Amino acid sequence: MEKKRLRTILRRMVIVATLLVTALQGGALNSVSAQEVVLTYGIWDSRQEPGLREIADDFEAENPGIKIELQVTGWGEYWTMLEAAATGGSLPDIFWMHSNEIYKYGSNDMLLNLDEYIERDSIDLTKFPQGLVDIYNVNESQYAIPKDFDTIGLWYNKTMFDEAGLDYPDETWTWETLREAAEILTDEEKGQYGISAQLSNQEGYYNFVYQNGGTILTDERTSGYDLPETIEALEYYFSFVHDGLSPESYTDTDSRAFLENGIAAMATFGSWQLPAFLDNEYLVENFDVAPLPSKDGNSTTIYNGLGNAIDANTENPEEAWLFLSYLSSEPVQRKASELGIAISAYEGTAEAWIDSNTEFNLKVYVDMVESGQIRPYTNETTVWEEKAYELLNAAYRGEQSVEEGAKATAEMMNQFISQE
Amino acid sequence: MGVGSKKSTWAWGYGMIAPTIIGLIILNIIPSFQTVYYSFFKTGAFGKGSEFVGLENYSRLINDSQVWQATWNTIRYTLLVIPPAIIISLILAVLVNNIKGKSIYRTIYFLPMVAAPAAVTMVWRWLYNNQFGLINQILGYVGIGPINWIENPSVAIYSVAIIGIWSTIGYNMVLLLAGLQEIPQDYYEAADIDGASMFSKTVNITLPLLSPQLFFVSVTGIIQGIQVFDVIFMLINPSMPSYPTTVSLVYLFYNNTFKYSDRGYGSAIVALILVIILILTFIQVKLQNKWVHYMGE
Repeated sequence: MEKKRLRTILRRMVIVATLLVTALQGGALNSVSAQEVVLTYGIWDSRQEPGLREIADDFEAENPGIKIELQVTGWGEYWTMLEAAATGGSLPDIFWMHSNEIYKYGSNDMLLNLDEYIERDSIDLTKFPQGLVDIYNVNESQYAIPKDFDTIGLWYNKTMFDEAGLDYPDETWTWETLREAAEILTDEEKGQYGISAQLSNQEGYYNFVYQNGGTILTDERTSGYDLPETIEALEYYFSFVHDGLSPESYTDTDSRAFLENGIAAMATFGSWQLPAFLDNEYLVENFDVAPLPSKDGNSTTIYNGLGNAIDANTENPEEAWLFLSYLSSEPVQRKASELGIAISAYEGTAEAWIDSNTEFNLKVYVDMVESGQIRPYTNETTVWEEKAYELLNAAYRGEQSVEEGAKATAEMMNQFISQE
Repeated sequence: MGVGSKKSTWAWGYGMIAPTIIGLIILNIIPSFQTVYYSFFKTGAFGKGSEFVGLENYSRLINDSQVWQATWNTIRYTLLVIPPAIIISLILAVLVNNIKGKSIYRTIYFLPMVAAPAAVTMVWRWLYNNQFGLINQILGYVGIGPINWIENPSVAIYSVAIIGIWSTIGYNMVLLLAGLQEIPQDYYEAADIDGASMFSKTVNITLPLLSPQLFFVSVTGIIQGIQVFDVIFMLINPSMPSYPTTVSLVYLFYNNTFKYSDRGYGSAIVALILVIILILTFIQVKLQNKWVHYMGE
């Protein structure tokens, strides 16, 4: 009897102790958060994380009592994660926004309206490229502040060019020169291709479409895929694959792998790929970047830029705004460029990015924003962008005429846009 | 004693199963009904502003050639994976049953089940890589040209099926092995006395007595086959030429629900998947009487 009673008492004590510890832990956490504000910052590029962490540390040093937690989710899953978080009311306090998704979030009250904050603190939005500021302006209100911009450049293998006795690409290059160079650099026996022309929109054929006077989205918000100029540009771009000057390439990783292994001599890539290029010894030693070739003097490049936005339901709007305005201030934007994170959007800070890395001729990217065309977007961009890849696939491989593929894409795109 | 203890026994019973039942209801049963409910709506972003559209999602479903292509892809995947997986695992189970070190082999074959499907697929993706993958390297030594396992539309289905078979062999084998060990040795001894061949013993003793396990393995296998997603999702993306011939119904559901935010349509797709699985399971259960022999009958 006694033993049993002892055991029962012990058991009860353990239960009470466990409950106490749990309660105390909860209490401890609560007391920490009463003194300290923790802001979560959602991003999708793990390569930018180290640099942003440094900037966050600087901010924390200047603002004791606020801690910044970086949350990195890969591009492929970022929007799925964000949407789930938005529906469930647990968005990060601050997070990256993109032209593809700004309308959806902005028009559904998921983002904090920044108008009064901008006015109160006299933030000068004219210091940012107007095109980018406009992207993040939905229904006359500003919902995000531009963070950076990116353009597209032509990467080329200097060694392979030297071996073939070719001059390096520069701003005088035209569609014809690109084509000629690709032909010279292609060697079937060696399994070498002149160029890797990936089935990619922003980094690939969009640039050529606009250079040819075509468009992806007309001013009337209909698809531009079936315009003759667009089809012509697509035919030019796909011809590299059709004529054996480029391998078929469907992902960034594949394209880069072709370059890294000396299989292709050229490829068009966005400026955000810089960290990936710096990571690879072969690329650092043998590659450099040049402006895109032009057509009849038209050297348009697609440009885009991320914005920083704040959760509409954040518990700490003042602190979140403090961090956001910090990120958007000139010194921090310059520091971000210096750290090589990305080309900062604030006027005059892009130069620091050029100097951040002397391996490559990065000036090319910054100069190209002069002839920049904002990446085309609508309210639900992702849907038709992805379906476009599906529909252009056969034409890319030469199994269907480019005209047919483009017209099917236009039809699909118009259907989705009309449903938005 | 008496009435009192019977009531408390019931109470204990219900109490024990309560957590599982509550979990099932909240996480499985209610969402199933919700999904069917959503399929009659065109959902707005973030769950707001959904409008009732009746059968519109379903009529769109019937007319969508991609849905029928995905249905065929899914059925073809199931056919490519389940029969070979069962046959191979049956052979393995029989072999392992008669070896020393049974538990070691059992562990080794079961290991694939323990690995996360995403991790498994990433490794296979590297193996299958056209330029640098291990498989093509080895084939290269034997003089066979590189095969584009992932992007070639005609080959991709088989690449996906191979991963599927590889993953499920272990699970099937463990179940079949347990079933084999239940078969009394007396039957085999009696057959030996009668001079039966290995083949005859297998067909007349092993298979019939193993049929309950075989039935279970085939029913669960088919249900899992129809729901295939991870492998295809991680291996093939919509811009690849192999996408149309491999995209499964669940992959299509994922794209529509999460990427394109069209939850209503995604729910309709799920309803289709449910109907397919119900029909297939019903057929199998009916056929059960023909070929499954439960011991003791």
